[in-house]
Amino acid sequence: MVRRELIIKNISGLHLRPTGILCNEAIKYRSEIRFEKDGSFTNVKSVLSVLGACIKCGDRVELICQGPDEEDAMNALTALIESGLGE
Amino acid sequence: MFKGVNASSGIGIGKAVIVEETELVIQRETVADSVAEVERFKSALEQTMQETEAMAADLAQRIGEKEAEIMNGHLMLLMDPMLTGEVETSISSEQICGEYAIEQVFTMYAGVFAAMDDELMQQRATDMLDLKTRLQKTMMGVASANIADLPAGTILVARDLTPSMTAGINPEHVTGIVTELGGKTSHSAILARALEIPAVVAVGGFLDNVKNGDEIVLDGSTGAVYVNPDASVADEYRQKREAFLKEKKELEQYIGKPTVTKDGVSVELVANIGRPEDVEKVLQYDGEGVGLFRTEFLFMDRNAMPTEEEQFEAYKTVAEMLEGKPVIIRTLDIGGDKEIPYMGLAKDENPFLGYRAIRLCLDRKEDIYRPQLRALLRASAYGKIRIMIPMVTCIDELREAKALIAEIKGELDGLGVAYDKDIQVGVMMETAAASLVADLFAKEADFFSIGTNDLTQYTMAVDRGNDKVSYLYSTFNPAVLRSIRHIIACGRAEGIMVGMCGEAASDPMMIPLLLAFGLNEFSMSASAILKSRKMITGYSMEELQAVAEKAMSFATAGEVEAYMKEFVG
Repeated sequence: MVRRELIIKNISGLHLRPTGILCNEAIKYRSEIRFEKDGSFTNVKSVLSVLGACIKCGDRVELICQGPDEEDAMNALTALIESGLGE
Repeated sequence: MFKGVNASSGIGIGKAVIVEETELVIQRETVADSVAEVERFKSALEQTMQETEAMAADLAQRIGEKEAEIMNGHLMLLMDPMLTGEVETSISSEQICGEYAIEQVFTMYAGVFAAMDDELMQQRATDMLDLKTRLQKTMMGVASANIADLPAGTILVARDLTPSMTAGINPEHVTGIVTELGGKTSHSAILARALEIPAVVAVGGFLDNVKNGDEIVLDGSTGAVYVNPDASVADEYRQKREAFLKEKKELEQYIGKPTVTKDGVSVELVANIGRPEDVEKVLQYDGEGVGLFRTEFLFMDRNAMPTEEEQFEAYKTVAEMLEGKPVIIRTLDIGGDKEIPYMGLAKDENPFLGYRAIRLCLDRKEDIYRPQLRALLRASAYGKIRIMIPMVTCIDELREAKALIAEIKGELDGLGVAYDKDIQVGVMMETAAASLVADLFAKEADFFSIGTNDLTQYTMAVDRGNDKVSYLYSTFNPAVLRSIRHIIACGRAEGIMVGMCGEAASDPMMIPLLLAFGLNEFSMSASAILKSRKMITGYSMEELQAVAEKAMSFATAGEVEAYMKEFVG
């Protein structure tokens, strides 16, 4: 299992469009991919789950990947989040 | 007459077509073969996804990528394994029909979104309900209301327009939209504006007062709606409609044209914005840049100071979206009249004369000003950013801010971080004190931007919110006009750019005077740009010099205003 702390940079937070971009990438991996924020977990492969977490700009989240391709998933998703998810 | 919310401007005249969604009756029915039921759901899902994809492609082609995003968002929700998985699980575990499983799951999520404390998220509830109905209709073989084939001259009347319904509208046939529900920022209002269809939304009880074929007149600028109006009202609106279309067409000719007077003096026409997304409108109306980007939005409605990183992203976004056109970004202009709990500002007895704007920022360099300036400098590597300092009254403030900027530049150099080494630092001219020493400011600032709203307030010593004295609040007061003329002359004498970002910059009666005074840049709401360009290109400086001279010879605001009114006609 790998985990990394990230800061969400999108101005409007994780709303529908950036979340869609994020989930589309996440589903490419076989690993289980989650966000942990304030002790609760979010399934990063689900648009609804991520939207429901109401993650705002500037929020700190921990990205957790667990599975056969966890390193690849971590690297790809970190890069995507750092790039601002298309915003 | 009915009154609603003006959602998309223009006059719509035509015959009512009421679009009603068939009321679906969804009942909990048990199924014997839940495996087959899951398959039935999956094929409905597949079909709905294909339709959504087609709608997105159609919107992207007809209107633009941005509008298509609403449908792309729907597609992402339909692809969500959590959502569809939950429907499948409930079909098989409870042995219920797909329609009912959809009802349960989607209604639950719509409720979750509706309860969220965030407007963007609350809108997702509408999306969930729209998708729910579409999936159920597909499963039941009920056709959706067909909006694509409405006859020409239709006024579309509905309780509410779902995003998927609005996406199918043909703007050549639909001349107006009236709905009982919705708001200015709902998807359907946004799409109506993108399609340039006049629309009035949130007209309470409208469906009880209209039937198919009724003559409807609506004014999307005022929110007025008439059902079977008198011939005189209908005629009046027909004329208004023609005037509106004529003006729109005329103004469109000014897109891409330079802003230059008949005798060859060119000025810049730029826009005021409050958020990064406003840039789109600036480009749409052919603004030549942004003359005022207010940064307060970054600090409002939140619980902690925005980080440097967050600010950097916002400034960079705007700079990049403008593709090389200049943007003047005003540093934080806030004081004790705004409730920002996390800043811990004491309530000012007299906030407009108190601890605010540059005074506050220079006092709190470490937690407020340094991060903002650093973010601005870093973002300047991505476009043409200019920094503007608000509410200066004495040179010391400009010097202190510039010293801090120089210090941060040194830090960035040390770290090898890119920024625009020639970034301009200007001041907002909005106090009587700054105006009186404008010649001194002009020697040390890279540009001026005159904020007429505050300049008028501080010059006339008048609170425009106070009804008893608001009659004094007029930019046409000789005192204010002399101040403006003086500021422009001082700036021009030192060869710096002088702009204006107050309401006066787009006032048709002020524009001739400002041109004559020598103003270089006019910053206004994006929608006023083309109208102003049309005006400016119609004047010659020679003619305006004489007008300004005459206007400045009057002793009262009333006389100046009357004279300018007559001149503009």
